[in-house]
Amino acid sequence: MRAIDYALRHAWASFWRSGTSTAFAVLAIALAAMVLGTLLLVTWNVDRVMAQWTDATEFSIFLRDDATSEQRGAVETAIDQSGVSDRREYVSKTQALTRFRTQFADLASLTDDFDDNPFPASVEVRVRPDAARTGRADTLVRSLAVMPGVADVRYDREWLTRMSTGLDAIRRAGFALALLMAFAAAVTVAAVVRLGLHARTDEIEIMKLVGSPVSFIRGPFVAEGLLQGGLGAFIAIGLLWAGFAAVRAWWGGDLSALLDGAAIQFLPVRLVGLLIAGAMSVGAAGGFAASRHAA
Amino acid sequence: MIETHHLSKLYSRGLYALQDLSLTVEKGEFVFLTGPSGAGKSTLLRLLLAQDRPTEGELFVNGHDLTSLSRGDIQEYRRGIGFIFQDFKLIPTRTVFENVAFVLEVLGVAPGQQRRRAFQVLKWVGLQHRINAYPRDLSGGEQQRIAIARALVNDPALVLADEPTGNLDPDLSLEIMNLLREVNAGGTTVVVATHDRELIRLVGRRTITLESGRVVEVT
Repeated sequence: MRAIDYALRHAWASFWRSGTSTAFAVLAIALAAMVLGTLLLVTWNVDRVMAQWTDATEFSIFLRDDATSEQRGAVETAIDQSGVSDRREYVSKTQALTRFRTQFADLASLTDDFDDNPFPASVEVRVRPDAARTGRADTLVRSLAVMPGVADVRYDREWLTRMSTGLDAIRRAGFALALLMAFAAAVTVAAVVRLGLHARTDEIEIMKLVGSPVSFIRGPFVAEGLLQGGLGAFIAIGLLWAGFAAVRAWWGGDLSALLDGAAIQFLPVRLVGLLIAGAMSVGAAGGFAASRHAA
Repeated sequence: MIETHHLSKLYSRGLYALQDLSLTVEKGEFVFLTGPSGAGKSTLLRLLLAQDRPTEGELFVNGHDLTSLSRGDIQEYRRGIGFIFQDFKLIPTRTVFENVAFVLEVLGVAPGQQRRRAFQVLKWVGLQHRINAYPRDLSGGEQQRIAIARALVNDPALVLADEPTGNLDPDLSLEIMNLLREVNAGGTTVVVATHDRELIRLVGRRTITLESGRVVEVT
């Protein structure tokens, strides 16, 4: 405990003593944390919306015009027995036409010229979230597609998969960039800590000569990096919050519409904590690396 | 307290700083190491402080085999040793009191005990009235007395002094030597490296004379 107390007191003093160089180190960590934080903020919000969409997936089985009521019954039985459906609804040809006229009022007049109702009857199925995630819905869709009386089955999960793959690629590239910046930040911290180490050469030499434990010699430098990391992370989170608030104020409505009504949210406490801990670890690693010359 | 057997220290250019040195310093003894510059006095003190390792031979101090100490063991060993240098080695950014208490602080001693003990040794060297001064505000003699206070604050069994009076005038040198004699009177082993023959004569203790890394005379 005394070693920790000593390390923190001396790190705090050194932190303020070497103002300009400390500011550089804090800035480097803040930049790295900003990149990672922005990435987390974007991917977390997109993930959240995608999860919402995944949980609300539906598919439609379009029936042939000549499908018999037995064939429709077989389709509905298969859906009910699969355990995939949360809810299903039969939409007749007439209901489909009415729905089109309601939803696309501007185009409604076009349908006046139709001799026959071109809209097929369908069964709309709301998929249970677990069935969508485990792939049971995909299996059911494949089996329904080949049943008699079925013209087509539309299950629009492919674009979700494509989007998820794209998001993964962005996430990987972003993490690689953040990792690179974190390394650069650690190197900056190490350089700053090493400057402090040179300024305290006499003190360190005496500490060694009196038999000071290594934790007392290296501790203040590690703690200094830790403080720099912590402050950098707080600055990054503050800026991230300001940026987030500005985006929400200016484009919140547009984004909400784009995200299917979901409001964008700031990072949860867990991720904020993780970001702070990560930045502090980067700082401490820089301090630890620099202080190896001291002991 | 100190035992060396055929101790040698060879530097990279093939020069022996110490060669085949065998000597014993008893517990509670006051010993001078003397000789011309380059005789090996400082090298022997560096080996005794475990700042360097011998090339050959054996070196035992207070039961520690200094030829085989790990880094952690070296730190533990040094806690039982006080050191005094010619250039004082005080921390310029710390006050007199902090320079002394600092040793106890980095050894993990409780704050209250640090204050008591630091004040006690500063009083003993006669500088209790200068506790808030910085080293730059002190004379050479005062700075060396602070260095002595620092060397004694953790109550060491052995005090090593490398030319402790090298920067001081004869009166102050004698004053410092008297302080070291008092330390020795309390049972602490004291080894002083100096080339000041007059001072050795005035103090009158056992003297080991080195020349070219070898013991040439013991009086």
